[in-house]
Amino acid sequence: MNMYGNREASFPRLLELHPRKGVELRIQIELDPASRGGGMSAQKNSSGERRLLQAFAPLHRSALGMACGLVLGGILAVTTLALVIQGGYPEPNLNLLGQFFWGYSISWRGVLVGFLWGWLMGFILGWGFALVRNAALWIWLAVIRSRAEMEQYSDFLDHL
Amino acid sequence: MEPEEDQIEKAVVLLNAKLLGIVLGFLSGAGLFLATNFLVLKGGRHVGVHLGLLAAFFPGYRVTFLGSIIGFFYAFLAGFLVGAILGAVYNKIATA
Repeated sequence: MNMYGNREASFPRLLELHPRKGVELRIQIELDPASRGGGMSAQKNSSGERRLLQAFAPLHRSALGMACGLVLGGILAVTTLALVIQGGYPEPNLNLLGQFFWGYSISWRGVLVGFLWGWLMGFILGWGFALVRNAALWIWLAVIRSRAEMEQYSDFLDHL
Repeated sequence: MEPEEDQIEKAVVLLNAKLLGIVLGFLSGAGLFLATNFLVLKGGRHVGVHLGLLAAFFPGYRVTFLGSIIGFFYAFLAGFLVGAILGAVYNKIATA
C-alpha cells in the first residue's frame, strides 16, 4: 500500500514529460520500495526519494524569519553600538532610521530599540521570502504535474 | 521507518551555512568594490561623500581604488558572517 491507498503504485511509477522543445525527460519514482524486497535497490530508491524530497522541499517560514530577524536586528544593534562607543560620528548617520523606526536613535536605548525593529523587519522579510518561494515552488510543481497528466492522456482518443 | 506522508510533510530545505556565507560575502564584497570604483571613475568635486561614511564601521576604508580593495575584504567578512549565522540559525530552528 502506498500513500494514495492503492497497491498499484508499489510498482515503478514512470512519469514522462515531453517539454515543447522535444527533449524527453523521464523521472522514475518508486513510491514503495520496501514492498518489493531487494536491499540494494531499496537503498538506491530511498536515496533517490530523499534527493527528490530535498529538491522539492519547502523552506521553513518561521525558521527563516527568525534567522533573518536575528541577523538584521544584530546588525542594527552592533552598528548602533559602534557609533555610540565611537561618539562624535559625522552627519548624516543612522539617526535617519528614526524616520521609519519609531523610538530609534543612536544611544544605548537605541541599541535595544534598533535590535527589536531590526528583528521585526528581518522576520517579516524572511518569512515573506519563504512564503513566496514556497508558493512559486508549489505552482511550478502543479504545472509540471498537469503537463505530465495531459501528456499521459494525449493519445486517449486514439485508443477508442 | 517513518511513513511516507510524514516524511513529505516534515521535509524542509536545509541551508549550507558556509556556502551561504561565502556567496553573501562575495556578493557584498563585489558590490562594495564596484560601487566604490564606480564613484572613483565618475569623479567630481566630492567623491563618495556618503559611501565614505562606511569608514565609521570599516576602519581604513576610503572611496579610492585602494579603499575599494580594503572595502572588499571588510564587506566579504561581514557578508560571510551574516550568511553563516543566517544558515546556522535557520538550520537549528528548522531541525528542532
